[in-house]
Amino acid sequence: MSWSDTPANLVALPVIFPALIAMICLLAPRPAVWRRVLTAAAMAALLAQAIWMVIHVMEHGPMVLRLGGWVAPYGIVLVGDTLAGIMLGLSSFTALSCVLFGFADETAREEHPLRLPLFLFLLCGINLTFVTGDLFNLFVAFEVMLLSSYGLMTLEAGAKESRQAFPYLTLNLVGSALFLAVCGFAYSLFGTLNFAEIIGRADLLAGDYRLTLLAVLMLLVFGLKAGLFPLYHWLPGSYSVMPAPVAAFYAGMLTKVGVYILIRIFGTVLPPSMTELHTLIAWTAGLTMVIGVLGAVGQTRVQTILSYHIVSQIGFMALAIGLFSPFAITAAIFYIIHHIIVKSALFLVGGSVIKLNGTDELARTGGLWRAAPWLGIAFVLQAMSLAGLPPLSGFWGKFMIIQEGFTQGEWILVGMSLVASVLTLMSMLKIWLGAFWKKAPEDRPPVVTGGSRRMSLVVVCMAAVSLFIGLNAEMFVRVAKHAANETLDRAGYAANVRAANETLYPAKTPGAPKP
Amino acid sequence: MTNQLEAAVLIAVLFGSGIFLCLSRRMLSMLFGFILISNAANLVLIAISGDPTAKSAATLAGHSPDALPPVDPLPQALILTAIVIGFAVAAYLTVLIYRLYTDRGTASVPTLFDPKAEPVVGGEDKS
Repeated sequence: MSWSDTPANLVALPVIFPALIAMICLLAPRPAVWRRVLTAAAMAALLAQAIWMVIHVMEHGPMVLRLGGWVAPYGIVLVGDTLAGIMLGLSSFTALSCVLFGFADETAREEHPLRLPLFLFLLCGINLTFVTGDLFNLFVAFEVMLLSSYGLMTLEAGAKESRQAFPYLTLNLVGSALFLAVCGFAYSLFGTLNFAEIIGRADLLAGDYRLTLLAVLMLLVFGLKAGLFPLYHWLPGSYSVMPAPVAAFYAGMLTKVGVYILIRIFGTVLPPSMTELHTLIAWTAGLTMVIGVLGAVGQTRVQTILSYHIVSQIGFMALAIGLFSPFAITAAIFYIIHHIIVKSALFLVGGSVIKLNGTDELARTGGLWRAAPWLGIAFVLQAMSLAGLPPLSGFWGKFMIIQEGFTQGEWILVGMSLVASVLTLMSMLKIWLGAFWKKAPEDRPPVVTGGSRRMSLVVVCMAAVSLFIGLNAEMFVRVAKHAANETLDRAGYAANVRAANETLYPAKTPGAPKP
Repeated sequence: MTNQLEAAVLIAVLFGSGIFLCLSRRMLSMLFGFILISNAANLVLIAISGDPTAKSAATLAGHSPDALPPVDPLPQALILTAIVIGFAVAAYLTVLIYRLYTDRGTASVPTLFDPKAEPVVGGEDKS
């Protein structure tokens, strides 16, 4: 109809493009330089598109694409709103950094031929979870994501590590089966799987025990994906055995997909009156923070310590969701922006430690401050940001969450988060002392190569982006606030999807094919 | 929605036995447990399309006005997708169990996670 309809088609791009590039990569049976160039270029293009999308959506409102032209409650819709745009940007940015780090780590010939295609399929699944506006389509997106992640996890694992995939797989299989049943229950309860339609019908059911039961099941399923207490046990073991670039992407994105869905489901889809459940989320979040951070205290490997900190940080985001006010959701979204970049960068630092020292066992590392000072600077910036020292990005996220906690009078939860922050700082100091400050082991001095320098460069760039977020916090908070208001504006979401029925092409209805 | 007690009982039995098998120590039992659980979830989907008595099959061609009302076709579309996905995951799990067996020489979970156990020499080891 008008020019403003065309951009809606771009919502599908972050899903189609990675899958397409993955298939092109699969056509070449051997790893080659052109595959690397193609993959990196595709991810850079996706990043640019996501940034454009956030700017466009903030100005013009969410973009809705009806797949195949089917009319909204019957067909599947893809919805690109500000939150989805932010998440898409983060996923492409992390994917790009991790892939570039991997390129520096191994030459094109050493690379496993299936790593890049699986990585791209994983990205495709993750991106679909962000833009989908349909519960069953969300299930499909999760399965695309999970199947690629199973494959990627065991692809390069040796006989020592392969067993760690088993708990990850088993727990996620149970989670998937439950999710499928949840889709069934939701359909029988609402008569639709479209988010926008569920919004209206869930309001009619507010207070009904069946709605509460469904919400509890959803919390269970997505809490498992996010790694909330007591469902986090699969996480630390499986993340710490993968190759660093892959682990960094998992650490940054996969659990945050769970957090994103929790925001989407509890913020947009389900009615905001479910305060008991929000309290439940807040308290599990508090326990997650403290238990995750305590788990890290006893660990002696860089990657395992960082894995436990993922659990702890998930707690912060879930706490913000549990506090459930526009300001708290703003804080949660800002925290996600901060956390994904910082966490991936820290995992990449861990990968550099392995490259330089040959191990990430803290007893046998050292001397990196002298060997790779830039890596050290990047690590300090990211570690302090993770712990939440001003003026780094983590400080602003924690500050907003704690401020909201005080406003709502949740003293115990605020106390728990402060304890978790102090313990985080302690763990980060442990890595700093063990890997960077301590003298290098006599028999094995760190080996600096061209590859390790390029790896440091990637990490330094990520640290710079993270520093930029910290110093320009106001800009990012404004974007996060816009996203939060849009997410919580349930009527607006439904209206946008309904309005899409009027645009672009005449609507097809089931049983009446377009002439 | 009414009169579907037998479907509910079947789903409960399948879920129950699936979970029971998953809690086993043997990986093969866990594999069968997962297959049961995913089939139970598929049955949930098919059960929500409602009691099929006095209803006709859903067709694309449309219905004559005097025909019986069709069953809800959407769950059938969902279940087709779910079956394919469940099959793929079961296949992956089978391969993973085989891989673990060649790597560690065991098909029992406690032995697999025994901290003293070492990988089998000559197994599929790349590290």
